[in-house]
Amino acid sequence: MNYTLLSEFTPLIDAVEAHLMGKRETIALSLATFFAGGHLLLEDIPGVGKTTLAKHLCAVLGLEFGRVQFTSDMLPSDILGINYYNQKEGNFVFKKGPIFTSFLLGDEINRSMPKTQSALLQAMEEGTVTIDTTHYPLPQPFFVIGTQNPHEEVGTFELPSSQLDRFMCSLSIGYPDNAAEREILKGKTAHGLSRASVVLTPSQVQVYLTQASGVTLSDTLLDFLQDTISFTRKSGMFEYGLSTRGALALTAMIKSWAMLQGRSYATADDVQMVTAAVCAHRLRFKEGATTAARIHHEIFTHIHSDT
Amino acid sequence: MRYLSGLHTIRPSALRLLDMAYLVVLLPLLIMLKIPMLLFVLLVFVLLIFQKSPAKSLHLVLLFLFGMIAIYLSLYGAFSFKGLSRLKLFIELLIYVLLVVVALQRVTQRINFYLLISPILLLALSLFFYHSMFMLLYVILEIFFLLWMILAHRMQSDLRESFRSSMLMFMYSLPWVVVLFIFFPRISFEHATYGFKGETQKRMGHDGIMYLDTKAQLVPSERIVMEIGFDTHLPPSNTLYFRGSILYLDKNDHWEPLPQTTQRKKPAPIKTQDEALGYKVTLYPTQKRWLYMLDMPASPIANAMLDADLITTVKEAVKEPLHYSARSFVQSSYFEMPDTMTLGAATSFSRDQNPKSYRAAQRIKEDFTDPKERLSAILTLLKSQQLTYTLKPDLLDINHSTDSFIFDKKQGYCVHFASSFVTLARMVDIPARVVTGYKADLANSLNLYLSIKERDAHAWAEVYLDGHWVRVETTSTAANIDAQTQTALAKQNKNKLLNTLNLYLLYAKYQTETWILHYSNLRQLQLLDYAKSNPRFVIIFISSLLMMVLITAAIIAYISRPRFSSEQLAVLQPLLAYLQKKGHLRQNTETLHQYLLRYNDEHQKQSEHNRLLLQVGAVYEKLTYANNKEDTDIKHLKALVRRFISLEND
Repeated sequence: MNYTLLSEFTPLIDAVEAHLMGKRETIALSLATFFAGGHLLLEDIPGVGKTTLAKHLCAVLGLEFGRVQFTSDMLPSDILGINYYNQKEGNFVFKKGPIFTSFLLGDEINRSMPKTQSALLQAMEEGTVTIDTTHYPLPQPFFVIGTQNPHEEVGTFELPSSQLDRFMCSLSIGYPDNAAEREILKGKTAHGLSRASVVLTPSQVQVYLTQASGVTLSDTLLDFLQDTISFTRKSGMFEYGLSTRGALALTAMIKSWAMLQGRSYATADDVQMVTAAVCAHRLRFKEGATTAARIHHEIFTHIHSDT
Repeated sequence: MRYLSGLHTIRPSALRLLDMAYLVVLLPLLIMLKIPMLLFVLLVFVLLIFQKSPAKSLHLVLLFLFGMIAIYLSLYGAFSFKGLSRLKLFIELLIYVLLVVVALQRVTQRINFYLLISPILLLALSLFFYHSMFMLLYVILEIFFLLWMILAHRMQSDLRESFRSSMLMFMYSLPWVVVLFIFFPRISFEHATYGFKGETQKRMGHDGIMYLDTKAQLVPSERIVMEIGFDTHLPPSNTLYFRGSILYLDKNDHWEPLPQTTQRKKPAPIKTQDEALGYKVTLYPTQKRWLYMLDMPASPIANAMLDADLITTVKEAVKEPLHYSARSFVQSSYFEMPDTMTLGAATSFSRDQNPKSYRAAQRIKEDFTDPKERLSAILTLLKSQQLTYTLKPDLLDINHSTDSFIFDKKQGYCVHFASSFVTLARMVDIPARVVTGYKADLANSLNLYLSIKERDAHAWAEVYLDGHWVRVETTSTAANIDAQTQTALAKQNKNKLLNTLNLYLLYAKYQTETWILHYSNLRQLQLLDYAKSNPRFVIIFISSLLMMVLITAAIIAYISRPRFSSEQLAVLQPLLAYLQKKGHLRQNTETLHQYLLRYNDEHQKQSEHNRLLLQVGAVYEKLTYANNKEDTDIKHLKALVRRFISLEND
């Protein structure tokens, strides 16, 4: 699909692409998810660069990186933190878990028990952590990239759709195309987490976050957006349609994507661009496999924008 | 248009579409169906509503049996194989069988050929039963609806899209629909054509014999007997008598003309100073041999015989529309020296038949000697009896019909008035005869056009005075008219607008028939003459032709005009048309912006072009999606589009 990013964002994308070749669109969409204030779910087979994407995205955004590798014996306290008894002081002290960071990579979140999953997801939704009766606010911005491996089923706990809903977008990276793969094989990819050449300052991040939420949605666009949303609910193709939270996520993503293009208004292109990413983990076809590409195809062959 | 947008989401199945088509075509037919058949149709409807799955073979057999019983009961008593030669019965049977067959196929829920074709057949068959303006409008609606349903099925799209397409196609074909309806031959079950026999029903109309004992109420029939176009002017209302038969012989319950075998002298040409009025007549099939001419005929019609009573007949009954031109003197009397045979017949009466009348006549005879005075005395006598004009009189005592009418029942219609008057006139030694024919109604005229309906059938009298046969309007002696008859006669006037419309339609049809179907050299010359003397006519003719072309073009243009949801889209049209001409087609999944960008991708020749197109896309998007639009933007877009096209054309 055609799109032109605003020049301010091109270097960011370039910097990440140096490590993840030929995946500009995925990178751009991840960036949009961040500016939309949502969280990202990366679903793909191992070894295509999920972690690489997360790390380098974090680097260019200038955020504090935290990482949790989810395992089946993990407890909520391993993520959130724990109240321990300080013998010296004679009182309980809260020790922050790895979640207290502005950028959290939750690797293979479907490996942990539902109890642990829900601890993370609650934090994602509310932006606070509650231990015993005390609320501990998480740093702002707070961005979680969860990854999960769709094909390994032994010893995994599939995330229920109610929890998947908390992720704004789900993306899969996929294999690189021929040209990119050749470059990778030649060893042209940048190595190591060298200090990124371009980094956004916290104030810049804040500005973009505000800008994204201020993008205008015209009536023309809302018509198209509502057609799209109601198609997922009324076409009868999907087991269930997009929830209101899903619709809000879609709207936020559209705005954020429009902002990345340097526009103060969203267009039908933006809707087409982000819908599959927002819907891929929220919708399921009644018949046949559910893929982002298929969702995009089905929706937009039926719902056209005349404008 | 708001309702139309509701259709956007509806995508009925083929069976649903068929059901809708059937509902529309069955509606007029339901009115004519007999009760058993109606019950059968209702049963099928109920079955279709509650039975969702295809019918089992047992159901089919039962339904078939029920259908057969319904047909049998509907046609009970009316049906015989010989009766099939009657058009109405034949058509009815056809409709019933079609309905049963369609019902049987429909409940199996499988669509086959005849299930698809039958709505059209039913539509065509319903035309046999209705010829009114309403039906014309309804047929137009039906044809449109069927077209819509067919398109909805073929296009596999929602109802709105097919509605638009069918509307467009329909607008193209609408003139033909109207023309076809106008030229559609008049089918009437009373005088059926195509080798079928007509229905026998007592209706108003002219017949060679005049019965006095009709029990049935006379129904004022709107069927058109003939249409007349006068050459120069329309004669006044009180002269519009068209003679059909002259009746001399009183046979108690009816009057008859003189037998064919009677030797009578040839008619002498009428001598008069007046100039004869020319007119052209279209006579619709009457199955009878009379041609009707305005009183008094001036010269015989070509290929027809004019007899001693100035009655025109042809050798064979009129079975298809007949066109003739005739000339008449518009007057109420003519000079003739009748032969003894005719005079004898015109004076004979039976004294015993109507003794009361005879006594009354004798008194008049004694009181007056002058025939004219005697005549007015008879009219005074009739008037003094307070006779009532009614279409449904009590049955007269048929052996003393005149006595019974004048002194006893005192009610009747034109034939009774004419019959009694003639009897009385003969009793006072004035030769008299009954004339039957049509008395035209000026309400059915427009300019020089006049249509005569069966309800205009009339009977009056002629008396022989001073060597002239003089017309006497006998019905005018009626003192009052009964309420029922008044309503029956007034029915026509109830819906004035519709009547006027109908008249105009008839007029248009008549004019097309005259000027197109039966256009002859004579007409050509006549038109040329008229045009020469009337330059205004030429201007009006040409301008109305132009008008029609313009209106049609405007309607077509209005319907097929591209509709743009926004101003900027309209501004973009030249560019889009240009790209399309170059073979760059927009895919339906693309937004306009993507479409433009794809053009850039595929035609990377000059950065100037690509840059311009990008600008076009950007400005267009801003206009469409941003809320802070500026007036200059649309001008900017216009300029950009123009520049791009001129750049590409260079």
